[in-house]
Amino acid sequence: MSKYAPSLVMIALTASLSGCLTKEPQDAKVTINKNPYPSTYQHLPQKNTLITNTTVLIGNGERLDNADVLFIEGKIKQVGKNLTADNAQVIDGTGKWVTPGIVDVHSHLGVYPSPSFESNADGNEMTNPNTSRVWAEHSVWPQDPGFNTARAGGITTLQILPGSANLFGGRGVTLKNVPSVTMQGMKFPDAPYGLKMACGENPKRVYGSQHEAPSTRMGNMAGYREAWAKAVEYKRAWEKYDADYAAGKNPKAPKRDLTLDTLRGVLEGDIRIQNHCYKAEEMAMMIDLGKEFHYNSGTFHHAVEAYKIADLLAENGNCVAMWPDWWGFKMEAYDMVQENAAIVDAAKNSCAIVHSDSGKTIQRLNQEAGKIMYRADDHGFDLKPQDAIRWITLNAAKAVGLNDKIGSLEQGKNADVVIWNQNPFSVYAHAEQVFIDGAKVFDANDKAYQAQSDFLVGQSALKTTKASTPSSLTTATAQ
Amino acid sequence: MKFTKYSLAALALATVFSTVQAKSLLITNATVQTATAQGVLSKASVLVDDGKIVAINPSNQVTADEVIDAQGKILTPGFIAVMNNLGLVEVSAVSSSRDASDKKAKITFDASLAFNPLSTAIAYTRKGGITRSVVSPNGGEDLFKGQTFVVDLTGKFNSVLQANTAVVAAVGAERKGSRAMALQKLFNTFEDAEKKLAKAKKEKASKAKGKLAKKEKKAKAAAEPKRDEKIINAVLAGKKPLLVYADRATDILALIKLKKRFNLDLVILDAGDAELVAKQLVAANVPVVIDAMRDLPGSFDSLHVSLKTAANLINAGVKVAFFNQDTHNIYQLRFDAGNAVANGVSKQAALAAVTSNIADIFHLNAGEIAKGQAADLVLWSADPFELSSHVEKMWIAGDEYSTQARQDKLRNRYLKKSALPTAYSK
Repeated sequence: MSKYAPSLVMIALTASLSGCLTKEPQDAKVTINKNPYPSTYQHLPQKNTLITNTTVLIGNGERLDNADVLFIEGKIKQVGKNLTADNAQVIDGTGKWVTPGIVDVHSHLGVYPSPSFESNADGNEMTNPNTSRVWAEHSVWPQDPGFNTARAGGITTLQILPGSANLFGGRGVTLKNVPSVTMQGMKFPDAPYGLKMACGENPKRVYGSQHEAPSTRMGNMAGYREAWAKAVEYKRAWEKYDADYAAGKNPKAPKRDLTLDTLRGVLEGDIRIQNHCYKAEEMAMMIDLGKEFHYNSGTFHHAVEAYKIADLLAENGNCVAMWPDWWGFKMEAYDMVQENAAIVDAAKNSCAIVHSDSGKTIQRLNQEAGKIMYRADDHGFDLKPQDAIRWITLNAAKAVGLNDKIGSLEQGKNADVVIWNQNPFSVYAHAEQVFIDGAKVFDANDKAYQAQSDFLVGQSALKTTKASTPSSLTTATAQ
Repeated sequence: MKFTKYSLAALALATVFSTVQAKSLLITNATVQTATAQGVLSKASVLVDDGKIVAINPSNQVTADEVIDAQGKILTPGFIAVMNNLGLVEVSAVSSSRDASDKKAKITFDASLAFNPLSTAIAYTRKGGITRSVVSPNGGEDLFKGQTFVVDLTGKFNSVLQANTAVVAAVGAERKGSRAMALQKLFNTFEDAEKKLAKAKKEKASKAKGKLAKKEKKAKAAAEPKRDEKIINAVLAGKKPLLVYADRATDILALIKLKKRFNLDLVILDAGDAELVAKQLVAANVPVVIDAMRDLPGSFDSLHVSLKTAANLINAGVKVAFFNQDTHNIYQLRFDAGNAVANGVSKQAALAAVTSNIADIFHLNAGEIAKGQAADLVLWSADPFELSSHVEKMWIAGDEYSTQARQDKLRNRYLKKSALPTAYSK
């Protein structure tokens, strides 16, 4: 595990050593840069905006009718009735609905992009059951046309995760869905990293078929436990180093290990677990695993059987990300019920989320949530749009550790806003305008705000009607 | 024709031998979306007998064994799914539950022999108002994947309605080798078959004149068409549609050429870049079956596919039908149609794309609410394309079926509060 050139940031000690006559002089303190690929995100041109007389789903469970939404300098200023603002553009929201920007906690855009050639498939480092050392951000191809189609569906924030071949798949990264030539340009500033873990069939199949561990579910568990046990030691070694150094000694820094850096980040609460885990009994064990090694077991993804343990998940504070109806592709996805997210949501202190895991359905996460709401209401629930919107906004933001910044239209939060042409839980709904940090990033009726991937430039063989305007080239392919 | 209630004795008999004679059914006061030129009929009645639609808006005197007041709700033809693996797979990743593929499969591959009407996917699919399916094998390494078969979604053992209904092939981007080989093989196959038929015809003519020697007669017997040849001959004769997966415009053009050269009943599946050759498709009268939700360029073959593709093709005059090939979630077909409407397709065209156009393309006696059609009917709580609606009642060949599936039973047992573990909940 130590075949990696250490990229240590040596920080010169600033404290004076002149007073410590009896001690050996200290070497420079070794610290690890936790953010070596920092965000360079810059918001697009912002406009102070007042959306009037509209139906607002706040994202926290509240709904306001005939209300106004005001955002100033990229932040939500106010949501309420009869708002006024100087120097703000006014958008008539009559007949329209306004929601927070949609957050998808489970995407492989950029790492499994379109076109889906092997040359571009960079989402699964299937070479070791523990690849905590790999970071999804290092695979992101920002030109994936899927980012643009997702934005047209109101997606403003998305967590890009490595695949699920490994017990530990690597770090996930949370991106703002803005067009950028670099990953760093999309990276959500100061968002916590995620660590992708995977239960069940995938790791045991991938490695078991190569006659390597794990080949069973108990092998999966052993693999996690061994890794965490090492991580605990690693963490302790660094703590000892820091303490000894602080005490004026000149200790030798522990050997840097990228795999254990990530796991240590989890143990220290900086990195959040994003756990691909379908089955009830496995989720229950992953919760205990977190307790065994004193970390938060985080968010369960693809939790097809979450409805069987809804109370347990809520009691332990786990967020749970689910599909409305995916099933049947594997045994662990056999026990699907369409009301899964609604059942999970009904538990006290729950955190139910609807995710995509798909370049297709990320474009319609509103519809994915809608399907669950309606099916649940067909069977005795009484869920409303203001409830269902939480599954793709505030709860999702919570799972990626950003609920203080995004996920609801509450004062002071980032002005990530979607204007829908109607109730977003209709099959006929469209995102008309999408804002990130108060800047318009998509407009269904204005090609100037429909970004296009480099990949599709110059590819269109379709005749366009207005060949004089350059933007008309995007007619066929922008979406 | 006169419709009266069956006698009680007949009813009792019908219960015992339920397949013998379906009950007559009258659905009144429905908003009937006919999927025909008749369009939408409000406050309409549909009379069903012996599994068929026998009258629309029959006279007021007519009654039936069962009368349903639709209370103004929407009645549509049952939606028809095509080109899925329904009944051929239970769990995709469980190889022992898969019967749609076989490495050695060729044009003769008849997967209907493997169809399992008890697959849990079937009742679940009914939630989408789907009453019938054209099931397709995935085949193997050969250009020809096998033949489709038609099933109803009753879940009964006699639900295979017709086997070997059309030939499936695929052309396009290859991981290894060149796409040219598949196209070449298609042309060669039909050319060779045509030559052979011509030769046989000539020989038959000779035989008729008594010119055949004994030796030649033997040779003739040996030349009796093989199974695969018979299938190709049926395609050549226009008796069997040829369904070909193709995305790139040049592939579609090559297939149009094939159709013209051999006068085939050609259907293009997927048709990602079809918009580029819409005019040619119209001119050659070639229908397409597409996934209306497809809008990402999966490869260089489909750079022009978008959510507007369906609308643009329909507006250009192409006959378009929709499919959803996720065998476990075919029920979403109605939402696909709804999204197509949201992207410019008329509601009527979207309905046709999942009913009458499918029936037309795949030669099924269903997909329309019209006299003489199979009584595959769905009564909806509201707009069938909306997320919020659901199937209230559905009939397949005049018999009512439930949309209750395994998923509903699982949900119910976990919602039930009990002092005992869930396992005791029935």
